[in-house]
Amino acid sequence: MNEFFNKIAKNTYYKKLIKNPFTYVTGAVLLSVFQIAIFASSGNPWGVTGAFANWGAWIYELFGGSVDKWYYFSDAASQATLESGVLNNGASLQDFGIIIGAFLAVLLASQFKIKKIKSWRQVIAAVLGGLLMGYGARLAGGCNIGALFSGISSLSLSGWVFAAALFIGAFIGSKLLAKYFM
Amino acid sequence: MAEYTLDCLGEACPVPLMKTEKKMAELEIGDVLVVSIDHSCAMKNIPDWARKVGHNVEVEEVDDGEWEIVIEKLK
Repeated sequence: MNEFFNKIAKNTYYKKLIKNPFTYVTGAVLLSVFQIAIFASSGNPWGVTGAFANWGAWIYELFGGSVDKWYYFSDAASQATLESGVLNNGASLQDFGIIIGAFLAVLLASQFKIKKIKSWRQVIAAVLGGLLMGYGARLAGGCNIGALFSGISSLSLSGWVFAAALFIGAFIGSKLLAKYFM
Repeated sequence: MAEYTLDCLGEACPVPLMKTEKKMAELEIGDVLVVSIDHSCAMKNIPDWARKVGHNVEVEEVDDGEWEIVIEKLK
């Protein structure tokens, strides 16, 4: 059995397709093709974080809460999405696909590792950063996928506005990173 | 011809690259820096940066999801 896996590990196609990272250009082309496929099949541009808000609402409802009166969920389309459940929500399924796909890819490349948390700083930065990004994405009408990638590829001006804001944010973020993590 | 190590295990992008750049600036020409990483995108951006600057680079996979990047300072 070991011999079998050693043989696979040395195979050129295994190395090219599964083990080694794709180039940025290959990645960009694949992303473009798949986002067109998502748009063509679902009628909605690709997005990631929009579904997170629904996950939050579903979890809140599990504990007996109700979001019927919340402004964010007040329109008919949001209510219909919430009522039909997570398994009928394409955006949620796409997100599950990302998680399962990333997990499969790292396992196939034999690169899975549970990393140590180095310091409390990392935890605080991750939690704070996650909250800010999630909240910001809802205010901005999308994340770097929904608002930037899908925005620009739909020839929407908002995508370019988002890009400019992203650069400012990344600049400030990298200054903070250099200050607290170097 | 001294050899230095830099432990970036558990560190996410772009911190390993920033630390490597800073450390490389302290080295003499001919010195070698071994950077330990377990973040796969650092496996790409550190060698990319080092080659662009003009150093010798080798990447070794030491364990599942763990690499050592060996950089020889050439200029």
